Amino acid sequence: MDNIAGKKSSLTWVLHLSVLALVLLWIFPTVGLLVSSFRTTDQIRSSGWWAALFPAVQNETLRSADPDESRVLRDDGLYMVSGNLYVVDGAVDTPEDVVAEISVWGTSSRNIDAYVPGDTADLGDGETMTVEANGDYVWIGNDAQISGRGQRVFVTAESPPEFTLQNYRNVLFDPDNREGMTRAFFNTLTVTIPATIIPILIAAFAAYALAWMEFPGRALLIAAIVALLVVPLQLALIPLLSLHNSIGIGKGYLGVWLAHTGFGLPLAIYLLRNYMVALPRDIIECAKVDGATDFQIFTKIILPLSFPALASFAIFQFLWTWNDLLVAMVFLIDSSGETTVMTRQIVELLGTRGGDWEILATSAFVSIAVPLVVFFTMQRYLVRGLLAGSVK
Amino acid sequence: MNPALQGLVTIIVGVGGCVAYFYFSNQILDKVLFPPRGPNAGRNINRAEAIRPWLFLFPAMAALGLYLAYPVFETIRLSVTDRDLGGAFVGGANYAQMFQEDKFWEAVRNNLLWLLVVPAMATAFGLLAAQLTDRIGWGNIAKSLIFMPMAISFVGAAVIFKLIYDARPEDVAQIGVLNAIYLQLGGDSPITWLTVPFWNNFFLMIVLIWIQTGFAMVILSAALRGIPEETVEAAIVDGANPFQIFFKIKVPQIAGTIVVVWTTITIVVLKVFDIVFAMTNGQWETQVLANYMYDKLFRSNDWGVGSASAMIIMLMVTPILVWNVYNARKEMR
Amino acid sequence: MKTTLFASAAALALSAGMAPAQDLIFAPGDGAFNWDSFNAYADAAPDLSGQTVTVSGPWLSPEADRFDNLLAYFEQATGANATYTGSDSFEQQIVIDAEAGSSPNIAVFPQPGLAAVMARGGLLTPLGDDMASWVEQNYAAGSSWVDLGTYANAEGQDEFYGFFFNVNLKSLVWYVPENFEDAGYEVPQTMEELIALSDQIVAEGEAPWCIGLGSGAATGWPATDWVEDILLRTQPPEVYDGWVTNEIPFNDPRIVGAIETFGQFARNEGYVMGGAGTVATTDFRDSPSGLFASPPGCYMHRQASFIPAFFPDGTVVGEDADFFYFPSYESEELGNPVLGGGTLMGVTDPSEATTAFMEFLQTPFAHEIMMAQGGFLTPHSGVNLDAYATATEAGQGEILLGATTFRFDGSDLMPGAIGAGSFWTGMVDYVGGADAQAVADRIQQSWDALN
Repeated sequence: MDNIAGKKSSLTWVLHLSVLALVLLWIFPTVGLLVSSFRTTDQIRSSGWWAALFPAVQNETLRSADPDESRVLRDDGLYMVSGNLYVVDGAVDTPEDVVAEISVWGTSSRNIDAYVPGDTADLGDGETMTVEANGDYVWIGNDAQISGRGQRVFVTAESPPEFTLQNYRNVLFDPDNREGMTRAFFNTLTVTIPATIIPILIAAFAAYALAWMEFPGRALLIAAIVALLVVPLQLALIPLLSLHNSIGIGKGYLGVWLAHTGFGLPLAIYLLRNYMVALPRDIIECAKVDGATDFQIFTKIILPLSFPALASFAIFQFLWTWNDLLVAMVFLIDSSGETTVMTRQIVELLGTRGGDWEILATSAFVSIAVPLVVFFTMQRYLVRGLLAGSVK
Repeated sequence: MNPALQGLVTIIVGVGGCVAYFYFSNQILDKVLFPPRGPNAGRNINRAEAIRPWLFLFPAMAALGLYLAYPVFETIRLSVTDRDLGGAFVGGANYAQMFQEDKFWEAVRNNLLWLLVVPAMATAFGLLAAQLTDRIGWGNIAKSLIFMPMAISFVGAAVIFKLIYDARPEDVAQIGVLNAIYLQLGGDSPITWLTVPFWNNFFLMIVLIWIQTGFAMVILSAALRGIPEETVEAAIVDGANPFQIFFKIKVPQIAGTIVVVWTTITIVVLKVFDIVFAMTNGQWETQVLANYMYDKLFRSNDWGVGSASAMIIMLMVTPILVWNVYNARKEMR
Repeated sequence: MKTTLFASAAALALSAGMAPAQDLIFAPGDGAFNWDSFNAYADAAPDLSGQTVTVSGPWLSPEADRFDNLLAYFEQATGANATYTGSDSFEQQIVIDAEAGSSPNIAVFPQPGLAAVMARGGLLTPLGDDMASWVEQNYAAGSSWVDLGTYANAEGQDEFYGFFFNVNLKSLVWYVPENFEDAGYEVPQTMEELIALSDQIVAEGEAPWCIGLGSGAATGWPATDWVEDILLRTQPPEVYDGWVTNEIPFNDPRIVGAIETFGQFARNEGYVMGGAGTVATTDFRDSPSGLFASPPGCYMHRQASFIPAFFPDGTVVGEDADFFYFPSYESEELGNPVLGGGTLMGVTDPSEATTAFMEFLQTPFAHEIMMAQGGFLTPHSGVNLDAYATATEAGQGEILLGATTFRFDGSDLMPGAIGAGSFWTGMVDYVGGADAQAVADRIQQSWDALN
């Protein structure tokens, strides 16, 4: 018995571990984006996001103070410039604030690890330089040597982990940032809300008719809805764009709302009908006996009872319109760029800011934050909707 | 007008208009056209009942007809005409031109590859996740986390995975996790994964698999729970091991659901556009039909070939369409 | 277009810290300006009080503000009222406006393509032979500028329509002077020296070049600039012109040769930081970062004048980084060709004041006022280089003046499906290892498909 129990518990461990592995694998990409959005440009460039929690080793090029402004004449006739490399760089205000620790340094781009902190580098003809681990330096030489630009110092230093909110400030709250997400965020919202609400209303009536009213051709209509569920919306792009242009809507919010309504309807009707048809027949028949009209039955009984289905479709439609790129590009966004949505803005950034991961990660996270909140708070309805309508 | 205000007005007008339409059309039907009073009361009620469904259906039917049914036929028409010739009928010329293009065949090949790999992998991972998470205490949390990518846009996912696939020059630290692992495992130099022809398709597919696995898991998990306990218990009594129980007892019982999941993901795959558009834009031999079509329509401004390629997508969806309709009708009987 | 955008981004970066616009930004007599030319113009100009000149174009702030500052001098000299309106969607707007008969007096085009289309449609007024010969004599590489501004009219006859005002340079190689010092390298004066230097750097175990073609959906365009620059250095300009119009097919051996020469840089394993395999995927904005890495990842980067906008924060151009002219072959004797772009003015609605304004733009003074505000380069040979806002711009201005040939970015002149399509993707395929001839054949095929 012991043996079996032991085997069983080890199996349980394997089970737990494999689920954990699967979960980690699945959230790892998103976590990477989230962590990256809190790192500075330099950090992102110098190490992977997984290293964010550990001290980072960075190669930096620093420079001594400008000798023409800060050199002092010593008693031995040589000039001296001294100070702290990080203070000159503007990274910190005082030498006490330096958190980085230099491990090796050099003065030529061809030999950046020539010295360790405390060494005195011989720059030729009596010119010398000493650099300490915290970046304090002393640079000594004759009149000609200590002139012109500050001496370059290449350092390899270790700095502790650090996070910043600056990326979010830039992307969301900087009014001068033409590539910011604020406008796109509100545009996306403007697209999403009407495009979610209007189809629900239209679909609910149609679903009721298809579920509880008798009329010739009902079965055929239901079949048609199922067929339309899978029609690729790619087919609709050109015909509808020409249509919009010819009736004067052109590109704009009205067009994109109508398009989203049209494209969302099959799923909405299908989901709602499946739900309504499963409601108990008695309720409806009792109401009819009491003399209620179909319109009253629908608004007073069916709609409140169908709330879960309405909610689940609302979530679907919300996620779909929020995350949509193609429909917005075709029906909404014109060359002025005034009506750009977040997905489009991110694709633009992928083009113009391809390597600036702090901007990309932050912008992408701004755009996925709202759906994630909706997802985690309304997951129950989403799952229910999926189970009811897993044909789309 | 301020878009936010415009949005608000639209919501009010749209919602108000819908409500008003349904309310007043019913009122007119009941009070004006066929009042259930007078000598013809009975006949009037019947007539009103015959018309009412169509009142309920009209807005939806109009929108569906205009936004989905009409475009199908219009696209067929566009695919056999040439806009530069003033919309003249050109027969199969657009198709012939398309069939001559390497890019088109590349897109078809890649689409088939996507069709083979993505539904299979997403369903397999979904089944695995469903089976494993159903049996542990924190299964719901695990499910919810695996399900989460469903909420993320394809574009957001593209950014997420571009970061993973990022390649930096050999002598600096890699910030893409894939290259970091690859170098750690003894690879000689970082690989720019998205530009390795053929294999880069798989790196794009991973994005969609990552998104769709949660969907498969949720559906299959419900199906697994619906399996009668007795069948599993009987198998345990017969001495079957967990693998046998899973593959021989459980999987056959949920075969129908697996097919549904599979076809659903297949449709998503056929329409895949955003991922390719945002990550490679079809370069390095990663073109797919939906992006090929977008290129033709909006970059080359060639509506004929664009529509023809849209018809190819439609053609590939049609078997599923027929199958779905067939099943839906079977269920209703 | 893409490059025009970057050019303006760069101009924006260079101009930070300009003084706010006043009535006249520089008091008469101040600065290194040719006030004589202004005074002479003012004396000779007719009194245009009550007349208006409207200019519209793609320049937005801060370029629009600088141009407004220039207009103030014109107003003072003539008494006319001059206004400028900038629009983001200028190129769509001007066509609609012109067809509707509500065009401004003068339109500023970001590239010649649209101007040519409008000239063909009879929507532009020719500037006349006097203006053409003035450009030929007073602009460096003058005949190039005349050719670029000459289009067929509605009857198919060539006339001079476009006057270039503000140009940018692509034929630049960026480097870090202190890294050159540390390694003991000299700035190469000829292509032969440039190649010798590259080989020397390779021999010393370092990578000479940073090259990146990545640019999202526009990936590949940096390579088109390379090929164009090389073609101008290996073949006479007539070949370039024929190539741009496809009179010389894309798969002509001379073109393929230029592509292969580009390959000697970009496909040469030791030449490129990170190896040739990274060229296609390294983002062009990231690609110069190797210059500034510690230790340096590369020593040279060929890119247009806008690129400092993408240098690390705090990089001082002229000190931390500098540029030299992408040199020509000593052996080819093709002079000093320069590749670039620019904005040109066309008259969409002629008037007396408009003519006076176009004459005003011929004075060195008009160019110098723009130069002094930054973000402006001119091939006008009569200007004082000291008027440039920065030494960097003066250096670039000098390259422009030293040019014997100027050619406009070819990919901007080709049809969009080629210049912003198959040429880009073809170059990506080429650096990925495809055969130059095969790539050129494919691009030519796509061009044939257009006709």
